[in-house]
Amino acid sequence: MIKETKPTVFVVDDDAAVRDSLRMLLKSVGLPVEVFESGQEFLDAERDDRPGCLVLDIRMPGMSGLELQVKLNERHSILPIIFITGHGDVPMAVEAMQAGAVDFIQKPFRDQDLLDRINQALEKDAGSRRMLAERNMIRKRLESLTPREREVLDLVVAGKANKVIAGDLNLSQRTVEIHRARVMEKMEAHSLAHLVRMVLEVERPEE
Amino acid sequence: MPNAKTKKTHHPAADRSVRASAMEQEFRALLDAAVNAIVVINHRGIIEEFSLAAERIFGYTATEAVGRNVSLLMPEPFRSAHDGYLERYYATGEARIIGVGREVRAQRKDGTTFAADLSVGRVSGTEPPRFVGIIRDITARKIAEERLQRSESELRLAQEIANLGNYVIHLDQGERDYRSPQLLRVLGMDESAPPVPPEEYFARWVHPADADRLRDAYRDMESSGGTLDIEYRLIMPDGSEKHLHHIAQTVYDEHGRPAKRIGTIHDITDRRRAEDEARQLQERLTHFARLSTMGEMAAGLAHEINQPLSAIATYAQACQRFIRQPDHDDADILESLEQINAQALRAGEVIRRLRNFVKNREVKREPVDCTKLLEDLRTLAETDARLHNIWLRIEPQGNLPLVYADPIQLQQVILNLVRNAIDAMAEVPEPRREVMLSTRLTGEGEIEVVVADHGTGLAPEATEHLFNPFFTTKTGGTGLGLAISRSIVRAHGGRLWHTPNEGSGARFHFTLPVSPAAVSAGSKDE
Repeated sequence: MIKETKPTVFVVDDDAAVRDSLRMLLKSVGLPVEVFESGQEFLDAERDDRPGCLVLDIRMPGMSGLELQVKLNERHSILPIIFITGHGDVPMAVEAMQAGAVDFIQKPFRDQDLLDRINQALEKDAGSRRMLAERNMIRKRLESLTPREREVLDLVVAGKANKVIAGDLNLSQRTVEIHRARVMEKMEAHSLAHLVRMVLEVERPEE
Repeated sequence: MPNAKTKKTHHPAADRSVRASAMEQEFRALLDAAVNAIVVINHRGIIEEFSLAAERIFGYTATEAVGRNVSLLMPEPFRSAHDGYLERYYATGEARIIGVGREVRAQRKDGTTFAADLSVGRVSGTEPPRFVGIIRDITARKIAEERLQRSESELRLAQEIANLGNYVIHLDQGERDYRSPQLLRVLGMDESAPPVPPEEYFARWVHPADADRLRDAYRDMESSGGTLDIEYRLIMPDGSEKHLHHIAQTVYDEHGRPAKRIGTIHDITDRRRAEDEARQLQERLTHFARLSTMGEMAAGLAHEINQPLSAIATYAQACQRFIRQPDHDDADILESLEQINAQALRAGEVIRRLRNFVKNREVKREPVDCTKLLEDLRTLAETDARLHNIWLRIEPQGNLPLVYADPIQLQQVILNLVRNAIDAMAEVPEPRREVMLSTRLTGEGEIEVVVADHGTGLAPEATEHLFNPFFTTKTGGTGLGLAISRSIVRAHGGRLWHTPNEGSGARFHFTLPVSPAAVSAGSKDE
């Protein structure tokens, strides 16, 4: 969260009318919108990882919506995807959901349904961006620890008492207490529980 | 001549005798010169004179014949009856043959008989009476007559079997016009019915839809002296229809004036009906195949109609939101309304094309611009392609001459090929998923349409049966698509075949001959 950016709704649909009508609708509710006529065009665009969500037609000539989703996943994109589907596209929609799409909506749709889904997606995007930012912050704090402090931290998180840690690391109990206080301070932890939660937050997903 | 003949009787006057002797000589010369046999008999039927021709015809010499009963020259039962004929004549005076002549059977010396024409005269002024018989061998005429009769009855039978009648109209009125019995039967006319003049025939008999065409053809024949060769329908008095094939030719006299018109009228109703049935069956099958192609495309079409509907709904909802905003820009609303209009028309257009395509209609050939045809079927074809995430590339060659064809049937062929191409690419990775539809003018002056895909290609065992009806590699396929496509193309005078595509997949080609009339019409337009 270097700077506050208003989220953008990205629309990818090969049908000019559908694409343009979505642009109009989103404009009418004051949401910034950018439209693309193919998956490739979207991939090629410089989006600078801006926050927002993607409204994506599931059927397109060439690269289908599902194929674009695969490509975005490969790029570790976190952009939430709302698929627009036609009649009888349920199996594809299921596939899309399994691949991480937030939602799908069948054409023609009620504007409020779509806008609700977009808002949910934007919230989700904001949430995941917040979480990512927090993780980055925790990692930065972890990086500020000395190797000894890190050793102490790992044992604290493993639930060991100061006396045991002192024994394990061949330190005096007092020294352990000082390290532990430094760790709490550097990690900006309010409590032991908070500290544990922060460490698990960044380390568990990597396992 | 009867009085030229006197028997060798003695007359005292010398000059009369000299004259008689001269006449006798003339008579002999006459007897011998005659081509027909001349036999003179007395009142008892005894032969007195037997001409050279009689010797030749009957095989007796005069010496053998003279003095014998003339019944010698007849077969039984006439031989035995002849004396009776004479007696009856004497008794009743009733001449049955004298002065009348008749056809009789005569017998030669060798016992064979022949047809003869006999005329008998009584020599006047002789008492007891004497008779002259002139006998002509008519065997050859008889044979000719029989042959003529036979050929006439054979012709009549042949005309009956073939349902073919003929006529001869003598334009110079040199002879009576002729109408064969079968002609009258074909036309449902009585033999006594008067001939129908052409104008009345066109107006009262010929099917109104064909009358002008026939009138034109008739006028052409009259003005150019050519032939008439035309098929048309008659409406019979009972309301039934007859299909005729009418051929006629004018014959000119040595001065180049039309002398007579010879014509045949062939009743081809049965053949036509069978052809009609076959054609109707073919048309039904073609329509069925078109419907099933459309059935395969139904999902895509539903999608295609859904697109504008969806856009319309979204534009309308955007409008509602704009209007509720006090500071909205009218341009946004106007733009949305314009789009609503355009998209409604677009949906209507899809439905119109669809209806045109599936409608059961009469086959109608017209000059067709292939480039426009491809543009017309783009909606239907692209719909199907998009549903399968496939690009459809259409690359027509510019300025193609027109072809004379049924546009809907051509669309059917192309859509069928595009459908097959799309199905062949179901499992193909994205960058290769493209169907290419192109046209070009070949060196042979044909238009070639090619549908190329990058699909799985054709298995060798499949290519063998590819065009067989009911052969299909698709689940749910009818197996009619290619068979019917090929028959449509053939009916248009073209060919349909396939080659492997460079790289991968298959190319289906078909050709259409450029219509000569369309070429000039097309170049004029350009």
